[in-house]
Amino acid sequence: MIAVSVKTRTVEAGEHLQLLRSLAAELEKAMQAIAQNDIDALEKSVAHQQEISIRLCSMAECLREAGPAPLPSASDSIDPDLMAEIREANGELQDLNLRYSLLLKHSSRSIALMASLFSSYRGEFQEAPGIRLKQQTWSCQV
Amino acid sequence: MGSLTTSLLIGVQALEASQAALTATSNNIANSNTPGYTREEAQFSESPLTVQNSAVAGGGVMLNGIESVRDELLNLQIQQQTSQQSSADTVSSSLQSVQTLFASNGSDIASAFSSLSSSLAALSANPTDSSTQQSVLTAGQNLAQAFNSTANGLTTSQSAADQQVTQTVAQINSLTKQIAQLNTQLSSTVMSQQNGGTVEDQRDQLVQQLSTLTGISVSQSSDGEVITTANGSPLVMGGQSYNLQTTTGANGFQQVLDANGNNITSNIQGGQLGGAIQVRDQIVPGLLTSLNTLASQFATAFNTAQKAGFDSTGAAGQAFFTVPANGAASGISVALTSGSQVAISSDGSAGSNGNVANLSAALTNALPSGQTPANTYANLVYQVGSAVSNASAQSTSLGQSILQLTNQQSSVSGVNIDEETTNLIRYQTAYEAAARVVSTIQALSTVTLDMGSTQSY
Amino acid sequence: MRVNSNMVPNILADLQQSQSSLNTYLQEVSTGKSVAVPSDNPIASAQMVQNTIETANVDQYSQNVTSVLSTVQSAGSALSSVVNSLTRAVSLGTEGANGTNSSANLQTLAQDVQGILTSVVAQANTSVEGNYIFGGTASTTTPYTADASSPSGYTYNGNSGSNSVAVGDSLSVQVNIPGSQIFSNASNNVLTSLANLVSALQSGNSSSISSATTALNSTIGYVSQQQEFYSNAESRLNAQETVLQQDTVTLSTQATNLIGVNEATAATELSQAETANSATLAAAAKVLPTTLLNYLSAPS
Repeated sequence: MIAVSVKTRTVEAGEHLQLLRSLAAELEKAMQAIAQNDIDALEKSVAHQQEISIRLCSMAECLREAGPAPLPSASDSIDPDLMAEIREANGELQDLNLRYSLLLKHSSRSIALMASLFSSYRGEFQEAPGIRLKQQTWSCQV
Repeated sequence: MGSLTTSLLIGVQALEASQAALTATSNNIANSNTPGYTREEAQFSESPLTVQNSAVAGGGVMLNGIESVRDELLNLQIQQQTSQQSSADTVSSSLQSVQTLFASNGSDIASAFSSLSSSLAALSANPTDSSTQQSVLTAGQNLAQAFNSTANGLTTSQSAADQQVTQTVAQINSLTKQIAQLNTQLSSTVMSQQNGGTVEDQRDQLVQQLSTLTGISVSQSSDGEVITTANGSPLVMGGQSYNLQTTTGANGFQQVLDANGNNITSNIQGGQLGGAIQVRDQIVPGLLTSLNTLASQFATAFNTAQKAGFDSTGAAGQAFFTVPANGAASGISVALTSGSQVAISSDGSAGSNGNVANLSAALTNALPSGQTPANTYANLVYQVGSAVSNASAQSTSLGQSILQLTNQQSSVSGVNIDEETTNLIRYQTAYEAAARVVSTIQALSTVTLDMGSTQSY
Repeated sequence: MRVNSNMVPNILADLQQSQSSLNTYLQEVSTGKSVAVPSDNPIASAQMVQNTIETANVDQYSQNVTSVLSTVQSAGSALSSVVNSLTRAVSLGTEGANGTNSSANLQTLAQDVQGILTSVVAQANTSVEGNYIFGGTASTTTPYTADASSPSGYTYNGNSGSNSVAVGDSLSVQVNIPGSQIFSNASNNVLTSLANLVSALQSGNSSSISSATTALNSTIGYVSQQQEFYSNAESRLNAQETVLQQDTVTLSTQATNLIGVNEATAATELSQAETANSATLAAAAKVLPTTLLNYLSAPS
């Protein structure tokens, strides 16, 4: 007699759905944090994102592998309505992911420019011949 | 701080130029906490900074000089990203009307292929029925019409973009004139800080507006502020503005010339002007070419199938479609005048349906370009859809990036160099981790979608 | 600090996002479609092109199955009735061959068999919705017409063509056998055999009646064989109908997966979006000066 209770694929898929939605929410939070220049919130969110995506990966692999089971049975398949919700959540997550990657790209470039500004700063100022007030020139090796 | 203008002697393009250098430099920052790495530490925290004409504070405290340079750098990036966002918005809104041509609305090309296909299947079962024959003719006419409207819709969007080019150039010229006038005002008298600030702010607003119209590069010379287009054509030099001109090109569209008469149309990047030119000269022409090829190749295949058979009167099959060599999609039309001319028969007998299979095959066989008509069209739908959604995503993410830069700007006073560099490190670390999450999520997509299709058999 | 005139304050950005989400969910709930234009989901939109065509095809194939079934069934029952007629003709012939008939009887028998020949020709000339089903592909021509110079008294005006009708993307079913193969085949000529029996009965010669009857008898097996073609076609068509029904469900499910909306989800999301939007508006009202609120009411 088998005493171990195994989660049905539908139950696992339900958990998968919740994780997809949580991950989507975290991406929104992270993008907000970047826009608000809130580094603390960003770090926190990225940590959550890593956690959730690791769990999602291992779950998804498990769910896939459970596919070719020895005995075909109705309870081994995933409820079609649930699958529809998963598809939708996946679509939204992918859209957010595109925006997220674009924002990261733009912001990284800015960060790199600022970093080069600070690293090249030698504190040398020259007074340039000029029309206006004390015009200072500063050259930056980029 | 607004009255001090420091200058970066490199244009925005130069800042972009060497990504490798940027990476190396930012690695310096990243490594600054590594034990034994002393070069940058010394620079930031220990060495007294020798500065002329500016107050020197202790090492680590931000000086006026770097504060305003930082402000300038942020400003340049905001300008650049504003141009990019404006360009993306222009592309996105121009293509909105184009993409409705490709949406499934009953009179689109996909629906037309669909009814041609099913009417041919009906003909297979009822080759001699005149109303079934007529329905094939009608379906062919609907298909031709769908090609016509889609192509016409595309050329309409090109005309709209073309008008936008003219209008935007006029707006640019108006702004550069105003900016030059303000530059003259600024240089003509020695202003008190207060007054200079107001005029300067006004001018900066106008420059910001200009950046939404086209990508610009702003720098200082001994003659004052220099504004060029992103590719270096002069727009403003101190108190002098330089007009862009438009002239009708060989293809009927407005070409943009700089003040020296050079045609800079294909070099314009960013802003509404860049976006409009991209839509008019690259995106839409690409779609039109694909559409024309599809119309032309499909019509040829279908006509060939017609000529392989006989109609129900026993006459040899004639060409079904007429398609011009140029503008295939906008010009395609049905040449047959009656359903009885549809070539159903393979041997000339009245009741044979033997040639119907050939007509159907024209829809299901690969065209010379490599895909079936349906798949060729499906690719077009995908191209249009993703062009719009990518432009949208770009615009949204640029908006958030600009917000970030603006927020950084508003925290510019009293920033501590050490704190600043620490933050940069934290950002870079967080971004690296985030980039890994991004690729994980992409990989997850196929796996997630596969979940439903893997059943327990 | 430089003012970036294109800067959208944080709260306005939130509002725009919130309003946009709200509009999306409103549209989904009211149209039942989560993909209205290609940019909503470019991949799904592209896949829907094929789905649209396939769905229309499957629909038509089902109709084809129905109409072809009716033709095939008509042919089958025509041949059934021909077999019955031939069987009766054989028993008349057997009766005529037994040597006990008066010449008046034999004439009556001959007339009866002649009547059977006429009715078999009528079966051969069956038409369904204006198309002759036993004329090969010359479906607008009467297959058999009277011809005194022909041994059977009839001549075949059709051809030897056959049609295959599309009932699936890669499935066509042959739907007819030419009449010449069934009724006036060289080695088993039904019409000639009947005509020969008539002549034999008229002649009164027992042994020729007998051999004519034997010859006629062997055509019964032949016609039954031809009839099998039509019952096989009927089975294939019925099987294909089941497949097509399954295809319809598959395509419909695919379409929903690609562009359809899960009603429960959509309703929940709409409700949440409405709540969030109200909250954002309330927050904005506290933060924004009146002039900026005018920005919100401007057409976007």
